Amino acid sequence: MNRYGLFQLGELKFAISLVQMQKILQDSKGYPLPRLPGAVSAVLVDNGLLIPILDLGQILGAGEPQMLAAQGYQVLVESEYGTVALPADLTGRIVAAGKGVLSETTEKEKYLGIVGKFVYQGDQFNILDIDFLAIEMTQGFWQNQSDTGGARRHQ
Amino acid sequence: MGDHSRLIFRLGGVGFLLKLVDVVEVVTQITDALDPGRSVIGQGIVSALRFRQTWIPAVDPALRLDILSAVELQDKVAVILRGSEGNWALLVDRVEELSSIDKFQPCEIPFLLKVAAMGFYSQIHLLDDEPMIVFEPERYYGSAAVLV
Repeated sequence: MNRYGLFQLGELKFAISLVQMQKILQDSKGYPLPRLPGAVSAVLVDNGLLIPILDLGQILGAGEPQMLAAQGYQVLVESEYGTVALPADLTGRIVAAGKGVLSETTEKEKYLGIVGKFVYQGDQFNILDIDFLAIEMTQGFWQNQSDTGGARRHQ
Repeated sequence: MGDHSRLIFRLGGVGFLLKLVDVVEVVTQITDALDPGRSVIGQGIVSALRFRQTWIPAVDPALRLDILSAVELQDKVAVILRGSEGNWALLVDRVEELSSIDKFQPCEIPFLLKVAAMGFYSQIHLLDDEPMIVFEPERYYGSAAVLV
């Protein structure tokens, strides 16, 4: 059965396929590194490994860039290219796909790594394509897109 | 001491480690020893620094690393390094401590960040679970340095 892990960052709600979720950390410290891609806010250290923290606030151009404060949750997600961390304010709900309704996303949102919507108990969660986001947000392509809202904060 | 010792310094909020054998001296008061008029910004040289009765180039790696530093030029600490072309000064925000290499744990740069780090650093070590960049002086001054 397909299940989603649901989490929230500010006003944005996200869903990740549960098979990709590794673990959820709380208040893990983020460290700056020089020359990080603009869509990577910091790195965290988990079991001796460096994990890039993706600045999800840049999706849909919403929110301020994520800072380094060790507050909130970090959702560790396995992508095809390595583990990435996604910041979250609220997390913890795991929901079977059948408990909600799946809907289409717009073409514009597909370019932002949102492959669909999961509507659950009246809330709409953006289903993230982690493989797409991991490579786009770390290799600089993200900043080069013409309509990525806040993604251009380092330019 | 010797080849097992590392000098830890900071630029902005980022920690770096440097082989102590490369260090000639650490100079904490440089205000009266600077001549910013003798800069070559294209080579990262932000000033000349008088050291032991001679003028040497002072390089601020924060420029090349795109690190925002709140420390003004005159308040920087100069780490004097010996290079293939003579002594030069590495300007840092502060020097923290000496530490044995045994206290550091090598840590691989994630695949997703390798392209971003390329040309600037190639190794990261962990010290008490904090990532510290292995500073490679030859990237920042000398004939082998490649400017971006």
